[in-house]
Amino acid sequence: MKPVIEVRSLGRHYGAGDTLIKALSDVNIVIEPGEFTAIVGPSGSGKSTLLQLIGGLDIPNDGTVLLKGKAISDMSGQELSDFRRDHIGFIFQAYNLIPVLSAAENCEYIMLLQGVSTVERKERVYKMLAEVGLEGKESRLPGQLSGGQQQRVAVARAMVSQPDIILADEPTANLDSQTGMELLDMMHDLNRNEGMTFVFSTHDPKIMDRASRLIHIQDGQVIKDETR
Amino acid sequence: MGLTWTLALRNILRNKRRTGLTVLLISCTLVALMFTDAYMQAMGDVMIRSATRLYPGDGQIHNVAYRAEMDAKEQISNVAEHIENLKKTGLVSGYSLRALDFGMVSSTANNLPVQVVGIDADLEKTVSKLALSIEHGDYLDNDGGDNQILIGAALADLLEVELGDRLVVSLNNYQTDEIEQRLFRVSGIFNLHSRFFDEGLVFIKLSMAQTMLGLGDNVHEIAFNLYDESLSGDETLPFWEQQSTDDTVAEGWKKLMPDLASMMDMLNYSLFIVAAILFVVAVLGVINAMFMSIYERTYEFGVILAIGTRRSSVFVLILVEGLMLAIISLLIGTLLGGILINSIGAIGIDYGNMDFSGVALAEVIRPETRMRQFTSIPFSVFVMTMVACIYPAVNAARIVPATALHKSL
Repeated sequence: MKPVIEVRSLGRHYGAGDTLIKALSDVNIVIEPGEFTAIVGPSGSGKSTLLQLIGGLDIPNDGTVLLKGKAISDMSGQELSDFRRDHIGFIFQAYNLIPVLSAAENCEYIMLLQGVSTVERKERVYKMLAEVGLEGKESRLPGQLSGGQQQRVAVARAMVSQPDIILADEPTANLDSQTGMELLDMMHDLNRNEGMTFVFSTHDPKIMDRASRLIHIQDGQVIKDETR
Repeated sequence: MGLTWTLALRNILRNKRRTGLTVLLISCTLVALMFTDAYMQAMGDVMIRSATRLYPGDGQIHNVAYRAEMDAKEQISNVAEHIENLKKTGLVSGYSLRALDFGMVSSTANNLPVQVVGIDADLEKTVSKLALSIEHGDYLDNDGGDNQILIGAALADLLEVELGDRLVVSLNNYQTDEIEQRLFRVSGIFNLHSRFFDEGLVFIKLSMAQTMLGLGDNVHEIAFNLYDESLSGDETLPFWEQQSTDDTVAEGWKKLMPDLASMMDMLNYSLFIVAAILFVVAVLGVINAMFMSIYERTYEFGVILAIGTRRSSVFVLILVEGLMLAIISLLIGTLLGGILINSIGAIGIDYGNMDFSGVALAEVIRPETRMRQFTSIPFSVFVMTMVACIYPAVNAARIVPATALHKSL
């Protein structure tokens, strides 16, 4: 099967000369469809930078990122936006819901951009919110939800548009351990049931235990890649 | 309502204080522009009216050569024909025949050069405010004695004369080419609140002036007022050409008082400068408010760009927010502007005959409501707001998601 993500000789550095910081250097990763992969490493190791480059949110200095066989460096700005909209779901560390939109509207947002019909949108949103345990809270604004509930909405938003890949940057970092584990279990279930590819970063050992594959990063380089 | 409109509406309602201040800024700019326009218009109209209706009239007819050289030998001979023509137009509310020349006026205390104006007392009332400006004594009486003379209060002070005192007026007789001197008694002292008129003019009966100057039935000037005073400044009106002949020329205030015309142009220029300053201040204010709003939501823009929103959609979102601010501001501003203009218009601003660049503001200035205050001025403020939103919108659309999201995705 064709890899869903392929990273070749990826490098990203900031600054120049004496102030040159190598965030990533010669990173090579291949992720197959349906994987539940954790990128692990200490703070500042380059996890978030790698996820940003995979998601096309940043431009690498060296190397290539192929998503479903297509190099994102070959895409125009609009093509990349559309690709992210249709194929990638993002879950952010700080929830990052749109505060003026309700839980249901936050989930609907991407589908509106995709041009999904109103009926289908409503159906999928309510179903997804129910799946993440937020039935009855669809019309609440993010400010009216707890941190855990907001992150559930973020997961629902990432998944409701049925992307091929979900990228999550330390999705449980701002949650207590109990809520964090519940969320991870939920993501794992969705991965198994829906077959979506999950790539998430973490430095929490408890969360690492749930991943089927661990990619260890240190000082911007992959030091270990283990499948369990 | 589309997603963009929903988001824009909720975003502008998000920080009510900032939205309120931005709306206030745009509204106040509009109110200031509307009021300035209404005030300048009223002031201009009052200045023109004060300048024309105080004494000169909305228009005048002169001998072409007299107009060029101010040579009193050059007169209007076919007076009756001109009057007939003026009456036929149906546009003229009144006219006055004037014989005028420079001469000397002497009292026991002083001799001064003045312009001696011979007028028909009754006709003059239909053109100038001379009859209304008499402070002491009486206005000229066509049936009264030939030695009546009206002088300005300022001239009376210079000549050190009072009502009933004797004055000698010396004029050149163009028939005999000799100096003609006559004794007059001050029958009235006027105050037109214009130094130029009050110090420089004396009025005697038309028949006496014609005799002293040796004009026969001729006059130097036919001054007239129009029912619609605004036509006085319309140089394209066929009226002016129709009233002119080979020997005479009919002119409105713009040609008769080029200094005033220049001043009116300057007033319009001042309005333009005021508008430009207000626009710059408002544009900077709107840009600042929009940037504050964008900086506050940088992370959010990073998120929506990351999840697949096109940059063009972010650009449109900011413009729609600007559009909503503009619409709300225009509604409030237009309403407040209309109320302010009408309120001040009802009360009026009284400058108490203040002499403004040689023109006495003889009327209370009442800001005037005009259509453009509710059409082109709000439209220009609308365009200004939208233009002010372009720069912040471009910046929002150019946000790099990775930078906006910092270390998190």
